Amino acid sequence: MTDPFILSLILIAVLAVMGLSVGIAMLCGSFVYLMLKGFDPSLAAETMMQGLFNGYTLLAVPLFILAADIMNIGSLADRLLQFSRSLVGRFRGGLGHVNVVSSLIFSGMSGSAVADAVGMGRIIINMMTKDGKYTPAYAAAITAATATVGPIIPPSIPMVLYALVSDQSVGYLFAAGIAPGLLMALVMGITNAYMARKRNFPTDEAVPLRELPKITWKALPALMLPVILLGGIYSGVMTPTEAAAVAALYALIISTVFYRSVSLRDFYGALLGSARSTAAVGILIAGALAFNYVITREQLPIKVNTMIQSFELSQVSFLIIVNLIFLGLGCILEAGALLLIVVPILIPTASALGIDLVHFGVVLVVNGMLGLITPPYGLLLFITANITRQPLTAVIRELIPFIIVLITALMVITFTPDFVLFLPRLLGYQG
Amino acid sequence: MSIFNRLAKRAYTGAEVVVALLLGSMFVTFILQIIFRYVLSLPIGWTVEWVAIAWLWGILFGYAFVVRDRDIIRLDIVYAVMPEGVRRAMDVITGLTAAAILAWTLPKCWEYVDFMKIERTAYLRWPMNFIFMIYIPFAVAIIVRSLLSVWSALLGKTHAKIAPEGHDYD
Repeated sequence: MTDPFILSLILIAVLAVMGLSVGIAMLCGSFVYLMLKGFDPSLAAETMMQGLFNGYTLLAVPLFILAADIMNIGSLADRLLQFSRSLVGRFRGGLGHVNVVSSLIFSGMSGSAVADAVGMGRIIINMMTKDGKYTPAYAAAITAATATVGPIIPPSIPMVLYALVSDQSVGYLFAAGIAPGLLMALVMGITNAYMARKRNFPTDEAVPLRELPKITWKALPALMLPVILLGGIYSGVMTPTEAAAVAALYALIISTVFYRSVSLRDFYGALLGSARSTAAVGILIAGALAFNYVITREQLPIKVNTMIQSFELSQVSFLIIVNLIFLGLGCILEAGALLLIVVPILIPTASALGIDLVHFGVVLVVNGMLGLITPPYGLLLFITANITRQPLTAVIRELIPFIIVLITALMVITFTPDFVLFLPRLLGYQG
Repeated sequence: MSIFNRLAKRAYTGAEVVVALLLGSMFVTFILQIIFRYVLSLPIGWTVEWVAIAWLWGILFGYAFVVRDRDIIRLDIVYAVMPEGVRRAMDVITGLTAAAILAWTLPKCWEYVDFMKIERTAYLRWPMNFIFMIYIPFAVAIIVRSLLSVWSALLGKTHAKIAPEGHDYD
């Protein structure tokens, strides 16, 4: 590694720690690197703009954000909650199970954990804490935990970001997320059942079974979205990017036509909010594109590979180390930043060790999602603590069992690639 | 409200409309693309180009003029626990550094953008320097915003706290 590279790394780290936008810090670091090397600094701006302009896959990101924003303004979440309630509300700890099931369904429509917690989360937390059925801290904890499934079950914005830096197929990555997502929902359901027994949580009012068809019928348009999305992608009718546009259109249609809950003003609000989020995450992608050029120029990924090879690490120990690094970094960084910055460095080593890169992607995204609920910097934690007005420490205490079972699920996902890959293989993935 | 404030507010609302329209146009263009390709079997090429342009502009224009302090993705851990004086000092350092680097590299970037006039996009045949031109107002706006944050740090104001709800891409 050359001195200019080390200097630019230090500059980025210092600027970022001091609170500068991470994307701008990476752009500045790239400029400084190029100048110290005596190259034309505009190369950084060029890489950034060419990368954005030619990154067709990335266009799924703003459209998935928009789709989730539209779903969150409509009464779609209400219908899904009613549906989940009629399914699992009758069991002990019923609303906890409703939380798990509705998050699972919502994750089939949205690609963002934060959107899940903000939209569905607010409503279910109110349901859980009304009449003091559950402590607010528990409601906040389980809502944050179940939201992590959002980007594991397709669609998924973080997986699109991973696809960008790893050059893998978004379609196969999406398929690979399904089994792990179901596993995560399952272990959280079990945890809730255990807690419900131990702490004597109430059952929810049982919805009579004869009402189930009516409630299902009302929720059906919403329930069809995952089918349309996945069916569209895997039948080859649309690219994942187009699927994102279809998701937004479908959400708009059912919210306006079926549920009549979206006005023009709401739609403008969703567009504006999504555009804002898009620009915020877009500048992070832009900075990462510029800095990835520097990383490639320095052949850092190859050097990391040589170094790791010299330790003669096995696949398993490499995966354990990567998991530990990601869990650690996840405590201070957002999932998107983590994927865009760290993944490019690790890809050559992972493939040299014979790790399947689709499997690797799922492991890293699950890791990133765990990062969203681990303190000190856990976005989901902040959101649900905020909704319930609970101190962070109270929510964290309730979250610990969920974090433990999710880490266990992560281990299963990490060490059984076949469990992750059997679905993509069914769909034709050669890996 | 002074005239300056009113104008600034108008300009901000205008910028909001622009980014909302850019995203809206991406959305509509994608739907058109799907309809033309699968329903009418008439593939059209300009759609791919337009969405790429809207994406690039949406990000650079949006980040420069619409993204609020609290929406920015930043590392908050160290910053948040520092005493106010230290935070203000940090704002001054980061603001001056970012402004200096972007200003220093601006002429070279301008040359690159201008040089791109020799290339045109494949379908729409738009000159690439028009498309990449957005970098210039972006960089200038970031320089100005960085200096403003230095100024407000000197006056005693620090960054807004991060609003996690806006981070709906994670």
